[in-house]
Amino acid sequence: MARLEYQQADKTAIRLPVRATSALPAATQFAFSLAGLPISSWGFAVRLWIAVTISLLTSFWLQLEAPSSAALTVLILAEPTRGQALAKAGWRLIATVIGTAASIAIVGFLNQSGDLILAAFAAWLGLCVYAAGLLDGYRAYAAVLSGYTVGLIAVQQIDSPQHVFESGMSRGAAIAVGVLSITLVNNLLLAPDRYPRLMVQLAAMHRRIREYAKAVIRDEVTDATATASLMREIVAFHPEIASLATESSSGSLRGAAARSTTVALVAELRAIRALAALPVAADPVFRERLASVLDRSDDEPPSISAVGHAIDSAKNLTDATAAPLVWALSELLRTDEEVRQNLAALKSGMRPLRAWRAPLYQSNRIAVGNGIRASAQFAIASALFVLAGWPATSVPLFVVALVSALGAATPNPRGFTTIALIASPIAVALEGVFEFLILDGVSDFPLLAIGLAPFVVGAGLLISGPSPGLASLGRISLIFFMVIFSPSNPQTYDPQAFLFSSLFVCVGIGLLLAAQFLVPPVSHDLRRRWLIASARHELGLVLSRSDRRYAPEEAMFRDAVRVGQIVAAAGADLQHRISIEEALSYFDQAAAIRLSNAKLTQLADGPTDSPLASLAAEARTALVDRDAQRIHAIARSLREAASGDEYLAIEASAALLLAGAVIEAAPPQAANAPTEKGS
Amino acid sequence: MTHTFRELVAGGVLLAPFVTYALAALVIVQIIRPVLRFIRFADMFSHASIAELSVYVTILGLLILCI
Repeated sequence: MARLEYQQADKTAIRLPVRATSALPAATQFAFSLAGLPISSWGFAVRLWIAVTISLLTSFWLQLEAPSSAALTVLILAEPTRGQALAKAGWRLIATVIGTAASIAIVGFLNQSGDLILAAFAAWLGLCVYAAGLLDGYRAYAAVLSGYTVGLIAVQQIDSPQHVFESGMSRGAAIAVGVLSITLVNNLLLAPDRYPRLMVQLAAMHRRIREYAKAVIRDEVTDATATASLMREIVAFHPEIASLATESSSGSLRGAAARSTTVALVAELRAIRALAALPVAADPVFRERLASVLDRSDDEPPSISAVGHAIDSAKNLTDATAAPLVWALSELLRTDEEVRQNLAALKSGMRPLRAWRAPLYQSNRIAVGNGIRASAQFAIASALFVLAGWPATSVPLFVVALVSALGAATPNPRGFTTIALIASPIAVALEGVFEFLILDGVSDFPLLAIGLAPFVVGAGLLISGPSPGLASLGRISLIFFMVIFSPSNPQTYDPQAFLFSSLFVCVGIGLLLAAQFLVPPVSHDLRRRWLIASARHELGLVLSRSDRRYAPEEAMFRDAVRVGQIVAAAGADLQHRISIEEALSYFDQAAAIRLSNAKLTQLADGPTDSPLASLAAEARTALVDRDAQRIHAIARSLREAASGDEYLAIEASAALLLAGAVIEAAPPQAANAPTEKGS
Repeated sequence: MTHTFRELVAGGVLLAPFVTYALAALVIVQIIRPVLRFIRFADMFSHASIAELSVYVTILGLLILCI
């Protein structure tokens, strides 16, 4: 017998297939290209330019007071797919309403003092960044948007608080025009859907997990960080899946199918890890027979009997070893089949057989830390502006709030500010050329639209390009370009205003970066420690009332989100590796306990005075205490007490043996976590 | 007879009648979405997004004409 120990697992990493990143096969992806760029990128860039033009034209025609907000909205909603742009637009509208209400409240209470308004704004920004820390995707974006909308409305009207309401209404109208412009353009000019590409990515992930399962069965040792990275990649689909609902009438079903696929993928990964914790025969032929169970095409049904035949052929397996092995393999096949069915539902736009929720884990502690820091950083930057006593500082204050808030929704706020600092002089130079060399005093709208084309299309090509750094640079440059240009009807072409705005934008971002160095963000090390502490604490509460909110598979997904966050708190040092192993061990133990408990609950549904019911109650206590010896003993008693046809008791016994093995395999630092009695 | 449009009054703020119609059409489209899904509306068209936008515009137009 050989044993797939945790300690063995990190000797060498297996070579997993490369992640597929596109819906199209590599051969056809760049088949149609123009100037070396795919036609889809050109399509996106041209759509963006048309949407900006329509939003400006409509705003001028409606004589809105803030046409630049409409164009800015289009640039902020520049997403490559239709559903993503629509989802972001919906959240932008909601956040604008919240932000406007907050602006009116802040100015209403503190209209006697501009300094107090700035202080209240800093606190509000911190609160919004805290809320963003508890959310993900476009919800987090909406939270930070509520924050900087106050900068746009209240701070810009800091000297004339009586106009806050009108300003809010005009911004709201401009934002609605921007949202409608981009929605119309995306619909009429056939912006692509997200789900075909997501389907290919999820199918590629499924193949990688199958390869990983075979590697585990064949005892080709695997790296714990590779497993955790797989988890991170699976949970990273979560924010994108939320935008599927807005894509079409079948979008909500496709969203449910995609969500259930990710939950089932995590469950499959869990089944593989449980298998790795079991002692299996060293015979390579036997291992190969087990691995071959997964070698099936997507049209073939899973064969549990093939598992049985493979196990029967292994003569040196005892009954106590075979039962959990069969159970773990059948769990692996069941989850593999569930992933396959969910992918089929995603493809056909049907409701999945079982729709799982995908709850998100977000650390309250980290969110509070980020909120306080964002608040302090903005307060420092704005205090310097106030002390300097410069005129026209409302634009840089808005830009500081914008960069601070948007950066808080990214994993690396300081990196985001650095990119913004690089982008600001680029935007200033481009805007100067555009306003004073290209347009140079013209007042015709067609000339404005034609003049904007190379800037917007160029930035659009960068945004849709393969490099994330260049995409951020393109997006931020274009936003700053529009903030500084601030189109109006008629355009003022005031060089002094341009110089002030340009200088203050660059200085403002520089000050923010300085403030971010002065008040550094929560360090990776601290973040990792907090996350591990939370995992340990929640393992102590497993099976308690608060833990029963979710089905075992859903709770597994939530735990996987936390493992993904621990991986994201990057570092190649030994401590990082130990943290990942510890986090994975908590994940395995919690999942095994919850799944065993689910089986015991089914078993205990029978008569309460039966011996099986009392054994189930004992087993539950042993699970909460994480006492592997007692769990094994109760599993054996359960197997003996069950008559031949009581398959539930046999399954529960096998699940308990597996849970016992997982708890035994826990590394020493994860084995002595505190336990608390379930309620 | 001339068709009259009533403004929406929210807390003393007057909103254009078009806003009411646009929101009402959005609500109706959301309500009929399960029906569209059931009859597999999106599969009937090569460009489902344009078809669904057309449904919205049709409902909006009907609302403005009839109410």
